[in-house]
Amino acid sequence: MMTATLIAPAPAVYARESWAEIVKSARMPQFIIPTIALPPAFYALFALAMGQGSAEAATRTLATFGVFAVMGPALFGFGANIAAERESGQLELKRLSPMPAGAQIAAKVAATAVFSMVAFALLYALGIVAGVRLAASQWVMLVGVHTLAILPFALIGLGIGYRLGQKGAIAVVNIVFLAMAVLGGLWMPIAVLPEAMQAIAWALPSYHLGEMALMAVGQREAANLWLHAGPLALITLAAALFAWSGERRQAR
Amino acid sequence: MTSSASLIIAMLEGAGKAYGAHRVLDGIDFTLESGAVTALLGPNGAGKSTFAGLLTGRLRANSGRVSLFGRDPSDRLARARMGVMLQAGGLPETLTVAEAVDLHAGYFARRQPTPAVLEQAGLTALAGRRCDRLSGGETRKVQFALAICGSPDLLVLDEPTTGFDPDARRAMWDVVRAKADSGAAVLLATHHMDEAEALADRIVVIADGRIIADGPPAAIKAEVAATAIRLRTRLAGELFHALPGVVRADTVGADLSLLTIAPRLTLEAAFALDPALAHFEVAGASLEDALANLVNTNRTTALKEAA
Repeated sequence: MMTATLIAPAPAVYARESWAEIVKSARMPQFIIPTIALPPAFYALFALAMGQGSAEAATRTLATFGVFAVMGPALFGFGANIAAERESGQLELKRLSPMPAGAQIAAKVAATAVFSMVAFALLYALGIVAGVRLAASQWVMLVGVHTLAILPFALIGLGIGYRLGQKGAIAVVNIVFLAMAVLGGLWMPIAVLPEAMQAIAWALPSYHLGEMALMAVGQREAANLWLHAGPLALITLAAALFAWSGERRQAR
Repeated sequence: MTSSASLIIAMLEGAGKAYGAHRVLDGIDFTLESGAVTALLGPNGAGKSTFAGLLTGRLRANSGRVSLFGRDPSDRLARARMGVMLQAGGLPETLTVAEAVDLHAGYFARRQPTPAVLEQAGLTALAGRRCDRLSGGETRKVQFALAICGSPDLLVLDEPTTGFDPDARRAMWDVVRAKADSGAAVLLATHHMDEAEALADRIVVIADGRIIADGPPAAIKAEVAATAIRLRTRLAGELFHALPGVVRADTVGADLSLLTIAPRLTLEAAFALDPALAHFEVAGASLEDALANLVNTNRTTALKEAA
């Protein structure tokens, strides 16, 4: 029998799988709304209510909170979600089908991207209200850095979800979520932390992405880009291996 | 088996599966052919699901060889010709029945149209229902729909009718029978004897990780050629177990059920033992009796060999 007559074309499978993933989450509003709404709510609190109208502070916070906004959908949405799907046997059935293994991962990343972008839109709107004024090129770079953040966090979420049960995944994801935010300097600059804790930041994608976002809005020296882009690339590669090996270990 | 044109769909050669020192399956030799329903029977924990797992590539054999459509079972070209219904298995909670079937069918180039799949699985009326609002039996029907949606040449069903009412069971049996009649190989793991009796062209009995019987249902029954006697007595069951010809004695509600290879001798001795015997009936052993006896005999033999 010819290959072509047995296996459905991959692009169509990837597209359908991604669409299904987005629909699945969108129909769980009680689950997805908190992960999307938390960062804009925090931002409103920090930048609008407590920022006393400083456009500079509002801009700095917007840069780092955009990175923060990806973590909810990526870690809770898809890390904890895939653990539940694995426990219920849904992943096992997909693995026994001719679905390409990559379609699963691509669909989770696509859904993370869609829900992150909703959070970005809310954040940017609040930022403008708070007095953030950026050049068009700065907006483009900021959106670029925030979008880039989707990849490492979605991969980390997947890697956790492939390894742990739903309850274990939620517990671990909570710790990772807080550590990434606090130790990565997304809520406040890491300079306020003890020096030993500052060193940890170098291993966290949140720190490098936050610094890159600050460069995009002109609050950091852009000459230092590779100091952060390099480690971020390595961390993302490690996260990809973490997710991929997690997927592989499903075969027993 | 049903025709000279049957093809080899799957083959296990000396296949075994162990978790650490615990051997679940050992030295399994098995060939599955197209156009027939093969029932996999055995007590709980005998290795039925593991057997199906090796054949479908869900589990990897530690020893021996497994091939599916002449390939490694994990090969996507093999998987494209297989439909599987696992024993447990959730569904995408927030998708509708039709969406879930459509998504899964999309993995297969030879997919059937979704309405046709829903029709066969008895789900037409539930097409728009969300999967988290289905009963246990309805969930099984959707899982069955996922198994057949890709027009598979091999259909693997693990306890498919759990939670079904009698009408729904018969309806699913009809569809499974039709799939086999049109050339598919069906592997059915079940512990419902009536299911095996109604559907199977061949029965494979697994106990303690080995195949202990393999043949058409009639041959499995004949292998024990036993008679079942059901009676009501006030005496202890053990007294009857010791009667001539009796190979098994079980209490079933208020009755005592004896399995005997010498019914006449057993009956005479039973009346001698308890002249007040009431309510007795004699019947050819059911497949269930045959199976229980086979498994038991296998255990006893194994124990003797070990001693």
